[in-house]
Amino acid sequence: MSKGATVYKGKSGQWAFVLHRITGFLVFLFLLLHIVDVSTLNDPHVYNQIHQLYGNIFLRLFEVGLLFALLFHALNGLRVIMIDFWPGVIKNEKGVFNFMLSLAIVLTIIGGWFIVKPFFLGAH
Amino acid sequence: MAAALTRGQRSSRQNFETWAWFFMRISGVILFFLALIHMYIMHIENDVTHTTVSFVARRWANPWWKLFDWWLLVLGLLHGGNGLRTIIDDYVKKPFKRSLTKALLYVVGSGLFLLGTITVLTFK
Repeated sequence: MSKGATVYKGKSGQWAFVLHRITGFLVFLFLLLHIVDVSTLNDPHVYNQIHQLYGNIFLRLFEVGLLFALLFHALNGLRVIMIDFWPGVIKNEKGVFNFMLSLAIVLTIIGGWFIVKPFFLGAH
Repeated sequence: MAAALTRGQRSSRQNFETWAWFFMRISGVILFFLALIHMYIMHIENDVTHTTVSFVARRWANPWWKLFDWWLLVLGLLHGGNGLRTIIDDYVKKPFKRSLTKALLYVVGSGLFLLGTITVLTFK
């Protein structure tokens, strides 16, 4: 860092940046794991056992977390694209960030209910 | 290096980064749909414990779904891999460690690309 350089202290944009990195990193790590578990497809016994395991309540909660990470990363990504390709189109930076974050949370709660529900209803 | 270039010229490194930047936006928009549709089908429309080998067999009887999943694999790896490359550039400062971390990323990434592609192609 050169002399006289300042540290960027953003507001909502800084949080968006941090959350975008963390969620992207987590989704990518899951993708790596997921490619390995799907590769057992030609061994049906192993594949079915693993996917039975995904029905476990802990892994279901993990899937809800994955859903949130994916939703936030996807929605915030649209926000980044808007800022990059159409500069000035977003008048209220903080408002758009809050909207995307809220939408991700609301959709996670709705989707999360569907993910967790079969466990409680014993349908699995 | 940069000093040897006259105004208006760009180093190949800069060109690469510009393309990487553009690729992230384009692949991001495509993944927005591919990844969220995938998550919806596998965790909300169907329960994850029902996504057995016979479920995959019925789904992949349609080659378009195979193509859909393969594109999710390719774009997910490239988009996530490039994201992680950026993260490595930001946080791994020592040149040797940085090269080593990136080499590991590329080896694991290409390995999983092959594994995933073989899984899609050899499924019976």
